[in-house]
Order: sequence, then C-alpha cells, then structure tokens
Amino acid sequence: MKPGVGNERPTLLIVDDEAQILSALQRSLYREGYEIVTVENAAAALRILEAQRIDAILSDHKMPGMSGVQLLERAAAMSPHTVRMLITGWTEEIPPEKLREVGVCALVTKPWDDAKLKTTLRRVLGGAQAPRRTEGDSDIPDRSSDYSLRR
Amino acid sequence: MKRVGSEVQIIVLRPVESTAVDPISALRRLGPEARVEVLHSAAACRARCRDKSVDLIVAESALGAECWELLEHSSAVGPPVVVINDDGSEYAALEAFKRGAADCVVAGAEFADVLPVVALEQIQRWRAARDQGVAERRIRDLESYNQNIIQNLNSALLVVDLSGQIVFSNPPAEEILGESAEALRGRPIWPWFAGVPQSEIHVARTLETGERFKGLESTLTRVDGTAVPIGISSAPVIDGAGNKLGAVAVFSDLTEIKLLQRKVLQTEKMASIGQLAAGVAHEINNPMGFIHANLFQMAEYMTDLHRVWDGVGALQAAVAGGDLGEIRRSSDELTAISEQINIAFVLSDFAKAIRESQEGSERIRHIVNDLRDFSHRDSEHPALADVNQFLDSTASIVWPMMKHLVVLEKEYRDLPKVHCYPMQLQQVFMNLMVNAYQAIEQKVGDSGEAGTIWLRTEPREGGVAISVKDTGVGIAPENLDRIFDPFFTTKKVGMGTGLGLSTCFNIVERHGGSLVAESEPGVETVFTVWLPCANPDGAAD
Repeated sequence: MKPGVGNERPTLLIVDDEAQILSALQRSLYREGYEIVTVENAAAALRILEAQRIDAILSDHKMPGMSGVQLLERAAAMSPHTVRMLITGWTEEIPPEKLREVGVCALVTKPWDDAKLKTTLRRVLGGAQAPRRTEGDSDIPDRSSDYSLRR
Repeated sequence: MKRVGSEVQIIVLRPVESTAVDPISALRRLGPEARVEVLHSAAACRARCRDKSVDLIVAESALGAECWELLEHSSAVGPPVVVINDDGSEYAALEAFKRGAADCVVAGAEFADVLPVVALEQIQRWRAARDQGVAERRIRDLESYNQNIIQNLNSALLVVDLSGQIVFSNPPAEEILGESAEALRGRPIWPWFAGVPQSEIHVARTLETGERFKGLESTLTRVDGTAVPIGISSAPVIDGAGNKLGAVAVFSDLTEIKLLQRKVLQTEKMASIGQLAAGVAHEINNPMGFIHANLFQMAEYMTDLHRVWDGVGALQAAVAGGDLGEIRRSSDELTAISEQINIAFVLSDFAKAIRESQEGSERIRHIVNDLRDFSHRDSEHPALADVNQFLDSTASIVWPMMKHLVVLEKEYRDLPKVHCYPMQLQQVFMNLMVNAYQAIEQKVGDSGEAGTIWLRTEPREGGVAISVKDTGVGIAPENLDRIFDPFFTTKKVGMGTGLGLSTCFNIVERHGGSLVAESEPGVETVFTVWLPCANPDGAAD
C-alpha cells in the first residue's frame, strides 16, 4: 500500500466544499498524471478512503459537518499510509501542534501557487515512481518553493 | 399667673442699695423658667446682652443716669427694657418712653402683680419679633443659596411666562442661546426652536397642556444660524394657589456627547468589521484561489492552441503547394498534435475554466459591493427603507464567516417601509447575527454539529419586528440585565469590545424602537428589534 507501488498511477483524493475549487485543482494537476478523485465533503471522503487505495489526500479545512483536520485525523487512523495535506485560507486557526499531531505534511494556502502545488505533490507522492513530468518543470523540487511542512 | 413656658433670661438692673420695690420676687412669679440676674451698671448690662440670650431687661429709674444710658444704648437693638418708675412721677415715665423704654411700671401697690404681666408681654413680643427676623433672614439665605445654585448650575435653566417670554435665565442658558441675560429677558423663546418640528418644542407643549418632559433631545438654533443639539426637560411653573405661571426648562448642550456617540458608533463598526474581515477574506480567497489557478491553466491551454494553429498553418501551406505527400504529412502531424494535447478536452475545459472564473469574479464583485455598502459612512441621513432588503444584504455579508457551522433560516414577511438610518440598522443586524454565530460556535465547538439562526420579520404594533434567534449557548439569567450595558462582555479579551449590544440598543432607541433579549441557556436565544413606522420625532435628530 505504498504510494506509487507497481505501475499504477498515484491516487489523489481532493476534498473541498466548493465545486469550482475542485475543478480548478483538477485542472492544475491534470497533466501531472495522478488518478484524481474529488468529493465535496468529509463524509464522502471517508467512504472513498474505505473503498479504495488513496495515496494522498488534500483537504479543505473549513467545511460544514466535519473540518479538514478532523477528517485527516480519521484518515490517519483508517489509512496510515495515505499522505495527509490541508488546503485552506484559514491557516491562523489551526495550531501547529495540532498539525503535527495529525501528521499533516503539507499546508497549501489559498489562493495557491500552481507551480508550488505541483512541486509539493511531486515531493510527497514521488518516491519510487514519480509521476510523469511535463516540459519545463525542474527535475529536482526546490524545498523552499513548496508547501511541505518542516518537521 | 401665666407662666413663660420656656426658659427666659431676665436682667434686673438696680442700685446696690435697696429700693422701695422688689422686682426679683415679682418676676419669680413667672415660674422657675424665668432666670433672673441682677446687675448694677449699664455697662455690665450691655456686656451681658452681647450673647443675645437675654430676653428682657428690667431697670429701675432710681438708677438715674445709668438707667437713661442703658436705654440709649440698647433700646434700638437689644432686648426690650421695662423701666420701674420708682418715684411714680409723670416726668420719669415720659422720659423713659422717650428714650425707648418698652414699657413703664409704677412702683405702687399693684407693682408685684403688674410687673410679671408686663414682663411676659414684652418677652413674647420680643421673641415673636426675633423669630420673624430669623425667618426673614432664613428666606434671604435660602434665596441667595438658590440663586447660587441656579447661577452655578452646569445645566442651562430658563423660565418663561405663559406667552413664552423669557423671565429668567442662568449663565449656561445665556451661553447656549448666545445672548446676555439682559438681552434675553422679555424675549420670546420661539425663534430658538425655529429649526425643529412643532412636536419637538417641548416648552410650548408644557405651556399648552402642562405636560412634563424629561431628558428629551431637541435642537436650538442661535441667531447666527448655528444649531446646538440639546437634551431638555421642561415642567410647568405653578404658584401656591395652583395657577400656571409659565414653564421652566432645564437643558444642556449635547454637542460633545453627540460627537462622542458618533465616535463610539464608528469604533464599534470598525470592531465589527474587524471580526468580519477574516470571514470576508476567506470568502474572497476561495474564488481568488480558483480564478488564479484557472488563469495559469488557461495560459497553458493557449500554448496548446498555438501548437494546433501552427499545425493548421503548415497544412494550409501544404495545400497551397499542391504536393499531396506534403499535405498528408501535415495533416497527420496536425492529428498527432491534437491527440497529444487532447484538443477536444482542452477546448471544452478552456470554456469551463472561463465560465467558472467568471462566476468567481462575480462572487468577489458581490462581496466587495456588500462591503462597500457596509463601510460607507452614510449614516447621517434618514431614509424610508425596506428592512427586509437590508436585513438580507447584511445576512449575505456575515453568511460566509458562519456557513460551516450554521443553517440559516429566513422568514421575511412583507413589511411597511420604515423611516430610519439604514446603515445604523444594518450594524445592529450584523452585531446580532455575529453574536448568534459566536454563541453557536461556543456551543458546538468542533463537534461537527451545526446550529441554526432564524431571521424573522413581521409587521407588528404600528411598526416592524425583526428577530434573530439562535441555538447557541444562550445568556445566563444573571447576565440578561447587563448585556446592554456598555463594556459588559463575556467574550475573551480581544474578542469583543463590550460595546456591541449597547451600541445596538442606542441605535434602536434613537429610532424610537426597542431591543429585547430572551434566552433559555443551552436551548435558544432571541433578540427582537421593534421599529416604529411613523416617525414623529425619533429618527430625525
């Protein structure tokens, strides 16, 4: 269940209560070669996590019903190998110790930078089988230009 | 024998050697309250009288010159002097009266009976006169005391007669009206009220109907045209017999207070906007997020489309050249490019990205418009407004910050238009909604549950009622009385100014309406604003 095992493309689950955000994120990443699944709430995300292998989850924080942090907490228990990332405009509301506790490895801020987002995903989903690169992208991601959280 | 009843001091002035009469035993008949003291010289007697405790002097004419000297010095100011006419001569009696004796008693057979009667009468007369003097002095003191108060009162005071002419003014009144006391006396006060509707001339209503007014707001217009906001109380002036004489008005200049009020209003608005800013930033952030990303992707799509267009150009050139092989090769190239970049997808997604970005920018435009409406300082002018409309526009501003935790239910009934300051009322609604949201946030926390806020409007009692109900933590009964007090807050330091609800209360009160809170802690809390439709004086200050 490691990311990118075999020939399968890495699977990315994106959760956001705004359809247009999902659409734009998909658009940004469509040439990155991921298998992308999108859902509009945490409950649906948990159902997906139960049903199929997900290599990484990128979730909005402020959502009705269950917050992103709560979702990632559940996801950590259900599927420990799934890489957990948050995308939010509300960074100030989440204490850093909470992020560490939940094991959030990247915090993407809205509005996001396309290049930085791609770099971040390549870093966290990279490993054995890096996704297909598009022309012009650098081979080695620059650590200072992605959303990864330093431990 | 009648007695004096209360203690009296009598001085008997007589020669050292004994005479034909015994005034001391005669005076003892007045009772034990009569203290009789014997002195032998006019000087001693005058000295004794200095402490004002002496009620009567009885002097024997046998003293001769001493007696006359005493009369000369004390008859005008001192206690009454009764002269005992030792020799019984007409001359001595006449002389005694001429020099100011209060009475004269002849030393004869009835002396012992007459002296006490005369003494008593003189004492009573003296005391009555003295008491009256005291009373008069008291009245004089009281008058100057009152005068002092009135002159030094911080509030302005005016007394007008039945026709509204100024009878009295104190210095603050002169300052506010902008004229000296002399210039004011006898002038009708009506010109100073030229700038306000009839209903706001409280003094006139007091004169007409005898109504009393307490602490109402009005405006005075000085001769030079400057307007002074005042707080005024007025009451009828009535004499002892119940006749109306005029009216008294007490008022003070509210210019400073008004300025302060406006500042508080603005401060509170700024604080509310601060609370909102985060929510609005989030709401703008989301569309900004996808518009931003979409633009990047659209730039990439443009590159793709350029490649296809280049392929089309090559094919056209081949067709113009007429070489079939070249044409086929260019055509295959074009097909390959199109497949590689998935032109069908690019075209449809490009269109979708434009559409979604348009929606996003429309959302931002809307938010910015709402915010601009809100922050406009157009709170100076009253207007006839549809409360439903600006309640709803306020809801749309605060909605983004609460939508993850709150279900919003709206029940708007058709309402008559209300004369009001829309921006101020919007601030009230925003405060109530933000409070409702915070109460829900406090209750549900991270539990994942949602709360509900109901916005209801309905016509009620000649006005409109707007209620904001929430399912938040509620207000403890002991706090319910204090929530409208300035600076009362249960929020964490830095989270609330403690001015929100007191500002709301003031705004609603200024509209002539009411703001009431009911709460069942842990269940529901309702704030109800009632605003009158008619606007006699309320909102037009």
